[in-house]
Amino acid sequence: MGVMTKLTKAMLYSRGFRLTELDGFERLIAGIYGRPDRVPVIMQPYTYAMAMNRLPARRFFSEPEPFIHASYNTATYFGVDFWSPVFDFYNIELEALGQRLIWHDKSEPDVDTSDPLIKSEDDLERLKPPISGKSGRMPYVLDSYKLFMDIMELPPMCYCCSPFTMAVLARGYVNILRDMRRNPAFVHRLMEFLSMEVSVPWIAKMAELTNSSIIVMSDAWASQPNMTPEMVREFCLPYIEKIIRETSTSMRTVLDSGSWGERSVKDPRQVLDIKMDMMLPGNNFKALRPFFLLVWNEDYEETGVPMVRSYAKEKKVCLALNIRPDLIEEGPPETIVETVRKLIKEGAGKGKFILIINLVPLGTPVEHVHTLMAAIRKLGRYPVALDLDDMALPKPVFTPFEDWLAKEGLPV
Amino acid sequence: MDRRFEVDWEADLKQAVVEGDEIRAAEVAKQALDAGADALSLLQNGAVAGIRQAGDIWHAGDYFLPDIILASEAYKEAAKMIEPLLSPSQISYRGKVLIGAVEGDAHDIGKNIVVSLLKCASYEVVDLGVDVPLPAFVEKVRELKPDILGMGAYMTTTMRGMEEVIGLLEQAGLREKVKVILGGAAVTREYARGIGADGYGGDAAEAVELADRLTGNT
Repeated sequence: MGVMTKLTKAMLYSRGFRLTELDGFERLIAGIYGRPDRVPVIMQPYTYAMAMNRLPARRFFSEPEPFIHASYNTATYFGVDFWSPVFDFYNIELEALGQRLIWHDKSEPDVDTSDPLIKSEDDLERLKPPISGKSGRMPYVLDSYKLFMDIMELPPMCYCCSPFTMAVLARGYVNILRDMRRNPAFVHRLMEFLSMEVSVPWIAKMAELTNSSIIVMSDAWASQPNMTPEMVREFCLPYIEKIIRETSTSMRTVLDSGSWGERSVKDPRQVLDIKMDMMLPGNNFKALRPFFLLVWNEDYEETGVPMVRSYAKEKKVCLALNIRPDLIEEGPPETIVETVRKLIKEGAGKGKFILIINLVPLGTPVEHVHTLMAAIRKLGRYPVALDLDDMALPKPVFTPFEDWLAKEGLPV
Repeated sequence: MDRRFEVDWEADLKQAVVEGDEIRAAEVAKQALDAGADALSLLQNGAVAGIRQAGDIWHAGDYFLPDIILASEAYKEAAKMIEPLLSPSQISYRGKVLIGAVEGDAHDIGKNIVVSLLKCASYEVVDLGVDVPLPAFVEKVRELKPDILGMGAYMTTTMRGMEEVIGLLEQAGLREKVKVILGGAAVTREYARGIGADGYGGDAAEAVELADRLTGNT
């Protein structure tokens, strides 16, 4: 079945035209637009996949086949609805610009913050834009997406680094804070360069290859309290809007996501409003394209799920919540089940709700992830059960990963 | 020297620090010292008073991290000018903190913010940097006898090293002689409690409050 047919089927299902069963991708789409058969769950296999498939970090983060095969093996083993081929997306454009990275044996590489790319204003003038798709590890990303599409017969959700986070990493945190006060014109020139000379061509390249309907610019540094809401509004949002205007189409959402900080401001709506503007600048672009308002566990555990649920409902957007990584790691299984029960009870409503396994810490017992998935499958069914509080969950039965891998896995 | 004139220097310096204007803070400190201002009074009633007021505004929820970071930068610029003029007996610390990111972890932004705020809160800070080998923490505790050992981990892969350091401190008979505090993106309050740390700082400001509590400075 073609992607368009799947999208149409999922959208019809979400509106009540429930003709056939949904597969995982269709469930995700239906969950973004309305009510699927149950709450969808997306996974970012990431370094957990690297460890489960016994890959060194250097191979995982630079060779498409082991990276995609390991991610596929891990996500498929747990039976998630959809998975994103997530790499160290904060580094790709910066590395392509010439930023030095520090490589580790068991985790993703990091920007060497002791040696920032732009040490002075003059460095910006000397900087050459990357050759989009060819510089640094950009070919690794594109080849990985190609492999994903070959295996999944679906477009991936694509990821890149937001220009604002790129600017903070390229300049250094304290330096850019000083620049914002003393030399805002320079910060605007830097943002213009990163947005139009780096992000737009890179997003266009990914879009051209994958025809993906969702491209996420991750923006950890546009978070509170690291930045003030005023700083984000002045130095980040205008450029996000520019990029979205340049790269979004009627069928493709480009959005800025991944920031946090609702708990760090007096009125959490201030941060939620910024997040909405990062997806729908000026609210002028709302169409049939998929959107989701992502709120991290550190925030929703403080504000409460009902608060963010109510906000998402008011704005008529899908709410996406991650599952707290250390809960998955530490368990115990009973606590995982109770947490899922609470999230479903407070967040699932009548749809427009997805759960994200954004990180499974290394060393997490597979039983914990199986328990999590079993709980979502049973407790997350729509309509949400009236006796949700009383529903018991049997201990999940599963094949050991090594046995599963031998029979059904892809070689790494 | 006209007493009113001295007070103005201190007020100016305090204002420059509160506003996070490090250039102005350095200028005021230099001008004040050139004009014969008392170094200790300038430090305490100007720079230190400024960073404390910035901290109060932060705690009231009206300052964001950038404001407090820039205030600490301004404090550092002023202190750089003033401190060399003080005798060792005039510099009093609230305590000594040894700090570092554990082995395998090269993230330094958060740690540097904690170091800045601790220094501004009058702690003597020995920064071991990033990717610190686990036994090095123990050796330095033995050598420097800090009141507090602060460890940061920003990745779940490196976080486990903290537990190992606590174990090594116990083996070396040093655990009871130093308070251990943890922080960093990967660490949680529960984890810190679970491995027997004395405290957890969710952010840089909380780390300072924690240090004050553990050293009896509250």
